[in-house]
Formats: sequence, structure tokens, C-alpha cells
Amino acid sequence: MRIPFRALPAASGGILTPRPVVDIALEGLASAPIGCLLDSGALRTRMSAELAPLAGIELTGALTERIYVRGIETAGALARVSLALTDGTDEFSWEAPVWFCDPWPHPFGLAGLEGFLHHFIVTIRAYDEYLDIEPHPHAHGT
Amino acid sequence: MTTMTVSGQTFDLDPQRVENALRGQLPEPIREHFVVVSGRRWPPKQVLALVTGLDRADFTTHQARRALTRLGFTAARAARRSNRHPDGPQPATPKPAHTSATAQTLADALRPFIGQWVAVRGDEVLVAADSPSEVVSWLARHQQRAQSLFRVPESEQAISGAAPA
Repeated sequence: MRIPFRALPAASGGILTPRPVVDIALEGLASAPIGCLLDSGALRTRMSAELAPLAGIELTGALTERIYVRGIETAGALARVSLALTDGTDEFSWEAPVWFCDPWPHPFGLAGLEGFLHHFIVTIRAYDEYLDIEPHPHAHGT
Repeated sequence: MTTMTVSGQTFDLDPQRVENALRGQLPEPIREHFVVVSGRRWPPKQVLALVTGLDRADFTTHQARRALTRLGFTAARAARRSNRHPDGPQPATPKPAHTSATAQTLADALRPFIGQWVAVRGDEVLVAADSPSEVVSWLARHQQRAQSLFRVPESEQAISGAAPA
């Protein structure tokens, strides 16, 4: 599937440099796929902990880790969840670890290696401002 | 102040009173017509009902539009949209985008909501609110599906250098 980069407004007028954002649906929250910045430098896939209860994901007793994001200390709680990616025509779904972080200062989730990139063949066409994403033939998913 | 009669009742309205009545409310889905109040699109009947306290069955969309345009608000008709991906089927060799008209349209639609959580479908902002739970609750209440849920970043820095391990 081909995904155009996301154009965003600049507060001062004009637009920010368009970014590679993928919309990943959490099982239980299919009506609102989470916009996640594609982050090839990140090991984890992370989202705001505010989203977990909306999808019925229980974080009590989950493995946690403390990290710094944009200079802010945050606690990530691990959950293995069902995820889906669609462009309205094709749909890919897979299971993966996601770290739900509180607080979460980033406007998007982060789609990192674990949880996202390990499952797909991703071609970044930054000049042309789009991504091509295909499921990896050896990754688990449908 | 403009005096107008709606459903047999007389109201003295001004733009400030309309904006005050909408404070803390979320716009319902736009079916066809909308008015722009405080940079957001609202169904005309929702606005007039909130401002006057009248039941929506007491007036038509056109009466609501007329009343609100008399107060200086812009009214328009939403373009028909399909549910396909914003950029639709892709050409085999896409032109360098540098930023397509669709992308520009979405950026413009997002501009009033910088710092807020939004649900987006195509180049349309379905709803904006201060928390993701408000957005998700609105989607459920109105049986809407979004393509993307995120917080509109305040700056270039807000989406840079975010990579922890």
C-alpha cells in the first residue's frame, strides 16, 4: 500500500515538512487508528497510555520501563496487542509489543522496529513524499 | 445585536453570543451544510439550537443557515466525499508531490486545531478535542470512523528528535 506523507500546519502559517505517518489501528479501537510517526531509529513502538483504556487494553501489572522522550521522563507499560494497517483497500494485521507511555509528550505514536518495521518491507520515498508498505513474507500476520 | 424571529419566537443575537453558546461543545458530523464559527465547521441546526434553546424540529437547516449568515458567519456546503484513501488510487509513477493539493488542504483544515487531538478522514477533520477519549467518545456517539487520530503538533520541534530506545 502507498501512504502519502502527512502534511501539518505550521503555527506561523504555511506547512511543516510533511512526515511519514502510518495509521495503526489497535484492536478495540478500530474507529480511530492512531497516527504514528515512522521512526527507523527507534527500537520500540510507543503510544500514549491514554489510548490503552480506550481500546480496552489492561496495563495493570504490565512490564514497565522508564525512558526520556523529548527531555521528559516517561514510564512505558508493555502490552502485546493486535494491530492493523489499512488504506481502505488492503488491510494488514499483526500482533506486536506496544509500549504505552505516561506521560506522552509526542503528538504521534512512534512506529519503531519492534511492533512495526520488523513486520513490513517499507520503502521511504521522501523526495516524493510517500511510503510504500508491504508485509514481510516471513513476518507473522495477515 | 440582530433581532430575528425563529419558530415564532424573537431573539436578539450577536456573534459573541453564538460563540459563547458553542464553548465546550463539539460539532456534530457535517452532512451537507455547515457554518464556520471560531474556525470550526458546525451543522447550522446544532448551532441555532444551542444558541436559542429551541428544539431542532422547530426550524429547518435553511432557516438556521440564514439566521447565522445574517450574523456574519460563513455558511457553505460540504463537498461530497468518498471513503477512499485521501490520495486515492496511486499512479504508477507519481509526480514529486512537494506537497500535493490534498496535503495542503489537510494542513489548512488542521490549522485551527494546533495542540488538540483530532480525528481525520481524508482531508476533513471530523472532530477536535482536548483529549483522545473525547474524540473517541464523539466517534462512537456519532457512529463515525476516522482514518487517523493524533494531536496536531505545535511546531517542527514537536515532531523531531523523539527516538528513545
